[in-house]
Amino acid sequence: MDADYLVIDIENIALSYPDGRSVLSEVSFQLPEGARAGLIGPNGSGKTTLFHLIMGLVPPTRGSIRLFGRQMQTEKDFRRARKKIGLVFQNADDQLFSPTVIEDVAFGPLNLGASPAQAREIAQETLEQLNLSGFEDRIAYRLSGGEKKLVALATVLAMDPEVLLMDEPTTGLDEATRERIIDVLNGLDKTLLITSHEYDFLARTTKDIYKMKNGRLSPAGDAALLHPHYRAHAAGDVPHKHG
Amino acid sequence: MHISEGVLSAPVLAGGAAFAVAATAVGLKKLTSDRIPQAGVLSAAFFVASLVHVPIGPSSMHLILNGIVGLLLGWAAFPVIAVALVLQAVLFQFGGITSLGVNTLIMAAPAVLCYYLFTPFIRKGHATAMAGAFACGALAVLFSALIAAAALVFTGEAFMEVSMALVGAHVVVMIIEGIITMFCVAFLRKVDPSLLPGFIVRRRGKQAGHAGVNQK
Amino acid sequence: MISETFAFGDSPIHRMDPRLRVAMAIFFSIVTAVSNRFPAVCLALFMACGLLGLARLPLRPVLNRLFLVNGLVFFIWLVMPWTYQGTPLFTLGPLVIAEEGVRLCALITIKSNAIILALIALTATMPVATLGHALHHLRVPGKLVHLLLMTYRYIFVIETEYQQLMRAARIRCFKPGTNLHTYKTFAYLVGMLFVRAAARGERVHQAMICRGFNGKFICLHDFSFRQTDRAWAAAMGIGLIGLGVLEWTPII
Repeated sequence: MDADYLVIDIENIALSYPDGRSVLSEVSFQLPEGARAGLIGPNGSGKTTLFHLIMGLVPPTRGSIRLFGRQMQTEKDFRRARKKIGLVFQNADDQLFSPTVIEDVAFGPLNLGASPAQAREIAQETLEQLNLSGFEDRIAYRLSGGEKKLVALATVLAMDPEVLLMDEPTTGLDEATRERIIDVLNGLDKTLLITSHEYDFLARTTKDIYKMKNGRLSPAGDAALLHPHYRAHAAGDVPHKHG
Repeated sequence: MHISEGVLSAPVLAGGAAFAVAATAVGLKKLTSDRIPQAGVLSAAFFVASLVHVPIGPSSMHLILNGIVGLLLGWAAFPVIAVALVLQAVLFQFGGITSLGVNTLIMAAPAVLCYYLFTPFIRKGHATAMAGAFACGALAVLFSALIAAAALVFTGEAFMEVSMALVGAHVVVMIIEGIITMFCVAFLRKVDPSLLPGFIVRRRGKQAGHAGVNQK
Repeated sequence: MISETFAFGDSPIHRMDPRLRVAMAIFFSIVTAVSNRFPAVCLALFMACGLLGLARLPLRPVLNRLFLVNGLVFFIWLVMPWTYQGTPLFTLGPLVIAEEGVRLCALITIKSNAIILALIALTATMPVATLGHALHHLRVPGKLVHLLLMTYRYIFVIETEYQQLMRAARIRCFKPGTNLHTYKTFAYLVGMLFVRAAARGERVHQAMICRGFNGKFICLHDFSFRQTDRAWAAAMGIGLIGLGVLEWTPII
């Protein structure tokens, strides 16, 4: 992968709600191909909005977005880009709307132009890769939280995107599912951008860390240096270096 | 398929209102007070769903979904649809006060009729249920168009061609609604079959949550 | 986005007792709807415009609304003038436009828009919650009012759910078109809305009974009728009598 090729390049992005509230202020961010980046920040700092912005779900008030080297201006531009970037929502329930698992996983490939038979095959393979064989005809709505999260991941991976965005992937998950997700992510040869509260998780899956606070984004160093110590001193709950 | 204010004659408006009031009273009776929250949330879902528009050729059409509402609610479709229509009148000025009775009749009577006609199909095997669901969605729209046409014709002979054109214009809508109802019922059968038919008016017997116990 | 565009403002109409506004809307609609003579319906339109002016609503959204809801009226204009058997106004080859047909269309157009404008001025200028309470005070059955308020309460929640699901579809490259895949997807989205609504309804009900709900709807709101309200009621009464006179007597 070419580390000079920027898959995501956003410059001086600002986003405010119609009532004047600012969500993102002067955010500039470059994600090179092959990077595995983590994004840390408290709730309400704008992480999810940033993802929605990258996917073209919400327009910025100011600033520019380039995806895969192309300026993103119209919905058409974003539609093309969405074939190559996948986003896994924070809440799996917001992502799953087909009755059965296989139909939900096949939905993406169908939209990309696969025939029903091809889409089914791709879906089946994706489920196998995630150790979800046998889940094809299960009702997505009735799965456990962890299973839903894995299926949501499958629905995006089935499209084989070059870049994977994940919004708080481990919230509310049990240990076993967390481990599975870590394994899957470490086995992926894609560009990653993951937001999370959990330092351990980011330390094990990503290389570079960025932090987000009050709508501003800044680099925060190497993932390996992440460590929380909540009581030791004042900066204990944000990434920092000693000495 | 709303008939705007100021189109229909006084006798038609009054007759429609009378029928609608009676039917809504029946529906309210079957809707026990403690089921009102559930009916309200479902009514909100129906309201939002009716704002969804799907592409059809170069333009788009709004979903009507009175077939599905009938299957889910039975007689309770009358108060639920009446309330949704009041909200549409107040929020969007779609419809109005004098035509509320007729419009409720137009949307809800086919819903209840289709509930009775197609409930037996919905419970059977996949193919029968799908055929039934398609017919339910399509015929609900057809009956709605026919009632609207009747209201116009009873208002005056001059409306004969208008009402025929109205029914004709809805043929395509019927087919699309049939298709959507079919897939929607397929979805519900798999994901939450206890919703079909007559979920809201189900009597709460000793076995709470017992599917299939139906009070019509 | 569903929003109550006209509900919040400061004008004589917004300050009027909501019960009076609802009652006025009902009487005005009925009297206008049964009128069939031009003098009467023109007065009705004039009155409606007056009410709208009093409500000090922004003109553009109102005109936009009018445009959207005149669909059936447009449809009638498209069909009736040609198909009405009457005195020809003018001919276009084999097609004949009947004078009576045009008259009827014009009458309907004026009537319809008069009522719509009055509805906007009188009922859209209060939040739905207030409307519900006003209806309750006007003796609409408690169950129905309760249903109205519950429905209204959850419209926004469910709309958000719908938009989230639609977003999920869009980021997986869903592009609506005239095909089975599209209709199936919309059907699934709608089905999901119903399933979630039913589950949410159960939870709401459980929360309510945990706080002692026993099925009775109790209205917290109280209204009071003021002097200005009496004046408005009188004015409206006179207006309605005027409509009646123009319709039923041979004055004009």
